[in-house]
Amino acid sequence: MDGLRPSRRQVLRASLIGGIAVYLAPLGGRAYAALFGDGGLSRPAWNSRDSTLKYRIDGISKVTGEKVFARDIRARDMPHWPQQQGHALVLRVTKADRPYAGFDLSLLDPDLTPDRVVTAADLARDRLVFPAFYGDDMLLPEGQIPAYLGQAVAILIYKDFVRFRFAKYKLQFNNTIVRYNEPGAPLERDPWGSSRFVRVAGPDPAAEDVFSPVKQGSISPTYRNHQPVWPEPARDGEVGPQGMYFANAIAQELAEPPPDWLVLRRDYATQSGDTAALEPDNANGWYDRDREELHLVVASQSPQEIAENAASMLAASKIGLKRLFLHPCFTVGYGSKDHYNTPYYGLVAAIYGDGVPIRLANDRFEQFQTSLKRHQFDMHYAMAVDRKTGVMQTFQAEIIANGGGRANCSVDLTMAGATQAQSIYYFPKSDIAATAIASRAVDCGAARGFGAVETITATELMVDEIASELGLDPIEFRLRNVMKTGMRTTQGAIPDGISRAEAVLQRAQAHPLWTQRPARKFAYQAAHPGKYYGVGFAACHRRFGIGLEASFAKVELAPDGTISLAHTAAEIGTGTSSAQAVACGRWLGRPADLVELAVTDWPELPVETSAGSLNVDESEQNRLAANPRWTPNLATASSGSNSSYYFTHTTRAAARLVFQHGLWPAALAIWGKSSNSSAPSIDSARWSDGALTAPDMKGLDVRELAAHAHASGFVTGATVHAFNRWRWAEADFEIDGRTERLPLDGLSLRNGEGGYTVLDRRNVFYPSPRSMDAMVSTYTITAALAELTVDAATGQVALLNHHNIVECGNLLVPELVSGQIQGGAATGIGLALSEYLPLYEEGPGDGTWNFNRYVLPRGNDVAVWTQTADVLPPLSEDEPPKSMAEAAGIPITAAIVNAIAHAIEHRFRTLPVTPDKILAVLG
Amino acid sequence: MKERRFRKLIPWAIGIAVLGFIAVGAFFSSNLLRGKTGGPVQVVNAPADIVARGKYLAEAADCAACHTAPGGAPFAGGLAMQSGFGTIYATNITPDPDNGIGRWTADDFWRALHDGVRRDGQQLYPAMPYTSYRGMTRADADAIYAYLMQLRPAKIPNRTTDLRFPFNIRLGMRGWNLLFLTDTLPAVSVGHTPAWERGRYVVDVLGHCGECHTPRGLLGQMELSQPMTGSTLGRFEAPDITPDGLAGRGWTQAALREFLGSGLVEDGSAFSDMHLVVMRSTRHLTANDLSKAATYLMGDRPPPPAALPDAPPPAEATTTAAGRVTYVALCSGCHGLNGEGIPNTVVPMQGNTTLRLVNPRNLVVSMLDGIAAQSFSYLQRMQAMPPLADKLNDAQAAQLANYLRVSFGGQKPDVTPDIVRGLR
Amino acid sequence: MSLPTRPLTLTINGTQHGPIDVPEGMMMIDVLHEMLGLTGSRFGCGQGICHACVVIWDRDERHSETVPTCITGADFFDGKRIRTIEGIAQRDQKGEVTALSPVQQAFLDQFSFQCGYCTPGFVNAATVLIERLGRAPIARQDVEATVAAALESHICRCTGYVRYYAAVRDLILATPGLTRDSV
Repeated sequence: MDGLRPSRRQVLRASLIGGIAVYLAPLGGRAYAALFGDGGLSRPAWNSRDSTLKYRIDGISKVTGEKVFARDIRARDMPHWPQQQGHALVLRVTKADRPYAGFDLSLLDPDLTPDRVVTAADLARDRLVFPAFYGDDMLLPEGQIPAYLGQAVAILIYKDFVRFRFAKYKLQFNNTIVRYNEPGAPLERDPWGSSRFVRVAGPDPAAEDVFSPVKQGSISPTYRNHQPVWPEPARDGEVGPQGMYFANAIAQELAEPPPDWLVLRRDYATQSGDTAALEPDNANGWYDRDREELHLVVASQSPQEIAENAASMLAASKIGLKRLFLHPCFTVGYGSKDHYNTPYYGLVAAIYGDGVPIRLANDRFEQFQTSLKRHQFDMHYAMAVDRKTGVMQTFQAEIIANGGGRANCSVDLTMAGATQAQSIYYFPKSDIAATAIASRAVDCGAARGFGAVETITATELMVDEIASELGLDPIEFRLRNVMKTGMRTTQGAIPDGISRAEAVLQRAQAHPLWTQRPARKFAYQAAHPGKYYGVGFAACHRRFGIGLEASFAKVELAPDGTISLAHTAAEIGTGTSSAQAVACGRWLGRPADLVELAVTDWPELPVETSAGSLNVDESEQNRLAANPRWTPNLATASSGSNSSYYFTHTTRAAARLVFQHGLWPAALAIWGKSSNSSAPSIDSARWSDGALTAPDMKGLDVRELAAHAHASGFVTGATVHAFNRWRWAEADFEIDGRTERLPLDGLSLRNGEGGYTVLDRRNVFYPSPRSMDAMVSTYTITAALAELTVDAATGQVALLNHHNIVECGNLLVPELVSGQIQGGAATGIGLALSEYLPLYEEGPGDGTWNFNRYVLPRGNDVAVWTQTADVLPPLSEDEPPKSMAEAAGIPITAAIVNAIAHAIEHRFRTLPVTPDKILAVLG
Repeated sequence: MKERRFRKLIPWAIGIAVLGFIAVGAFFSSNLLRGKTGGPVQVVNAPADIVARGKYLAEAADCAACHTAPGGAPFAGGLAMQSGFGTIYATNITPDPDNGIGRWTADDFWRALHDGVRRDGQQLYPAMPYTSYRGMTRADADAIYAYLMQLRPAKIPNRTTDLRFPFNIRLGMRGWNLLFLTDTLPAVSVGHTPAWERGRYVVDVLGHCGECHTPRGLLGQMELSQPMTGSTLGRFEAPDITPDGLAGRGWTQAALREFLGSGLVEDGSAFSDMHLVVMRSTRHLTANDLSKAATYLMGDRPPPPAALPDAPPPAEATTTAAGRVTYVALCSGCHGLNGEGIPNTVVPMQGNTTLRLVNPRNLVVSMLDGIAAQSFSYLQRMQAMPPLADKLNDAQAAQLANYLRVSFGGQKPDVTPDIVRGLR
Repeated sequence: MSLPTRPLTLTINGTQHGPIDVPEGMMMIDVLHEMLGLTGSRFGCGQGICHACVVIWDRDERHSETVPTCITGADFFDGKRIRTIEGIAQRDQKGEVTALSPVQQAFLDQFSFQCGYCTPGFVNAATVLIERLGRAPIARQDVEATVAAALESHICRCTGYVRYYAAVRDLILATPGLTRDSV
């Protein structure tokens, strides 16, 4: 055990957080490779003819069973760690209505006694506390009522595997280990957050709003008895009272509607669920007391978050640490590994490992018990429609999302759900109140769909029911109300770009599954007397990103033409590495050869931020922005389906600069057209068969161009930073003596073989902090048709076919897009029909849940041979790629429930729709 | 189900042949001439509460078990029951006028349930358990009729029963009925309370439990001298469910209630045919009826449950050592190193009711065939048990069965390789 | 440590391992992961439900099947021959992959997986199927049903199964000798 030799250390660069030097070396990354040899990413294999990817960059290591997951890593895989691997398990409460009273391990034989037991007392003594984001009581002290089911009370550490394994056999499922005092009542707490979004439109959709969240603001309540209390209405009051005045007027109108209005009030509920990421949460860490270093292998969608929070946590403790080495690994989470607390438990376990590396790895029962859950939603909707015209008038919603035991992202997610609840329809008036409540359920996180699955599913069910009340074809009814370009959302914001929702609806309307719906139903039921047949439709819009997107990208061209890309994005299984490699091809003719993701160290472009800089007001932001190295946010996690749009933005921007200021001048020089009035326009440049061409010019190979650019000192590398708050920050940069306005807030360039030169920006334009309220930028539109049968005897639903329509701009890797559509559909099918977790005592917090009870769709449940998809062609070749991974999974859920309504003439409003529920209706 | 009916049919077939002569005599008292065809389509507009009660009773009587074929329309018949002598098909009892019972009156329906006679006057085979339903009240039969008559009619023709001569002479059943059709089945336990009486009705008449749990005589009749003492049907044994039989395996009334209501108890789960019975029928019983059924099954004064021996006798530990090795390798991953099982996931072996059966048949067959994943209610679903038939030879399977019986069931290690071979 | 152990000897990917002392009651996946460093057989559910952990048990020349290692004790494999995902591709002496198997190549070409966690299980199940069809070809019209039956027990959470199923179907149809033209 040598520890890291100094020479190896030099390849890693540290950022200093709270006095601790933090080194990030992602497994598979170049920094890691320099330490320990090659990682798992291979060079992309691409078809030169059409610049498409032959297979995903990480494909070979995955298909051959290499170590690519954090879960695969043991101490022996870390050359500088001690080779002995210790293991930890966490004791958790399974009751949350009575005080916790310690635990009793006496049933363990003496040789299975843990080597170390860590409790709240240890953490208090050593001042180890959760980062603020995660709340209190990392380990619950005795005498307290647990905040939620499954809360951790102790960590048991074993220095070897065998004793750990056999002790766990004894302890798991044994409900006599953890002790409690007399039953009491669960904790009652104020909601994690609550907001209300009221909008009253002007005389027409394009006119200025009378009142809206964007114009005046959203409404915040106070809390009484843990319930939100909204401000007293006042026409001329502050935002809150004024908003409530309009909210009351809307309510009044719904209570006594004009005679032509149909007002429908319905309650909807969606289930708590598990993302069921197949890699259960895990971490592996080694605390080197002598060197005051901590090494941690983690699975995370947000390594930057861990770096910052772990360092701050350790800096505030009495442990005394100098260096923190983080090895974020490739992982998969569908949101459950973004801002999740397992890495911090792993960190604490390592600290008490007595010099032995300690691995903390959930089994599936523990994963159900602790992993971040999908929020359970209750939605009370009212919708008013003009009966004569079939035009929607008002949408009123009260949305309650159960956030469980810790706040996590519950407020953001609930508000994201609330502000997308309108789906693709225009409402002149809306009043949407949303509350994320605290409860004793397992804590919830950014599960795939981020609030929109729930609220939009409810809306799509309601829209179908109203269409039926009006006697209108459901898609025809939708077309009468679809948002068109320039119309305002329930926030009062106008979405960016051209709205293509109408086109998506028209495609669905013309599909044979829809046009032949009555005939097929008749024929199918005649031929199958025990079956009911139905076809259902639903649509969705999905905002992507979180409104605070930021990333770095670096694109470099070597003299031999090798293209390398470094990015802050992390690979979370969706193919980010492949997609970002391909994104270089638009400007450089082929995908990047070398891709390094989750890079946190950017010496080429020193950019800084300041604490709380995301929450400053506009004037403060302007003051801070005067510093050309300042940005509101350094980098965002790979989540919220942000990679294809937001991360591609920086990749392409960097690649474009290398092209424009490196390859293109080189090409002109080779063609002899430099500073020549007959030089071809840069707009006429095309990549063809791996060669750069322009009209009447011979094709040039990228190697030739790269060599020339290097020799001539043209731009051969660009490192960029960009920030987006529903709009890109823009700034002026002077390049080659000319000022260009770029959608970037930081830029440095490398010329020839030289080093990087930071170009200080001028005239930076940051979007106003107020624009957060808009919660709007670009939307991806998706829709689904589901064809199914219901078995009259068993209530079983069989999906015969489904067709998904997606509008997502230009595609980076079409196969990945199609895989995302298919995968999203499977997720939505599970939510519609089978996946379910009870919230409380019978739920996953009891530690006895596994896939036998949480029923996931299998291949035979998803219409695997028949399903189809239709991706709308992009509006232009410059239309940016848009996120679709989450959007694709949303409409199928409501489409299925609407199809069941078509089949058996019953509208279910609570998910999932199980055979028992169907049988109860069929009688 | 198919298997079960198959076994039942063999003795009937013999019975039919023997009783052929009785039929001749019986012919003269026949009411065949009263049989009807054609006639008006019945329109039944029963009050909702009667229909609801009919649904409850139809579930309690598990009509769907036979009258709904797998994948078929509800109550539209079609379930094929194979035998060496031909095939019987369950009939369409939806209100379709041409294929179902759309022209049947409540009287016609009553005669089928009570006398085993179809509307056209033909005899039913006792695959239709009118032998048990005979005890049903007229009001209950009418309620079931009212329920059935408001179902969605299924235009699915009945398939013709395909028995070879002379078994295809339905009239033969008339003689069989003279010999074996009784008004009241003998009680399985002792009791006098109203709860016990109601339980008897739920178990013997509606649930027709004896049709499987009572052994059959040479002529296919229930051996009413040994009610509910257990009978082998197809792959599995329907175990002894007399009070002593149940208590001997540790059952209490509370556990029975839970078992019939959910299919799951601490010591095991329903599987195979009984799982279907629970899911289609008994779980729909009211708490009251469940309780009364349990009261009847064990009597007003139930015998105390037999305790499991604390530990197997030391002498037997050595004889089961080889079985333990197999258990650890193939079973302990789910059932636990010490047979503790996993709550809500895998049944325990400790005290498992199947291991406590004297007859090792159900244990051995479960080991060989495996058990598919089974849903019990929305929140309860036990994972699948993989079949071990191709992983164990006869000797290994016998050793494993003996280890389980001795260690967790308080039974003797008397399973031989021959027994296993016979059950493959 | 007083836990009883049993010696385990087996052949994994053509290489004999053991005898190693394995505690009685340890599951095979733990031996693969903790003792042998073979982590490609992924732990998913621990209950034999998701099939991410299956290995191929070669019973004899004509009969192979997948076995979930998370619920099968190590002792079961004593004296047996198995293949894990690490042994499916061809490798050189240093262990570097030199050629993928047809199944692996098909999954790669068709972008069958995203996160790849379930991939080893799908590779092994499809490999067993392809080998079986090599010995006993099926009619072309039965291919889809056969593929569905062979892969049904495997859980995938990313790509919705379509690209796995289609890859195996297309591979079977394109490989001479696996199908017959008619019944």
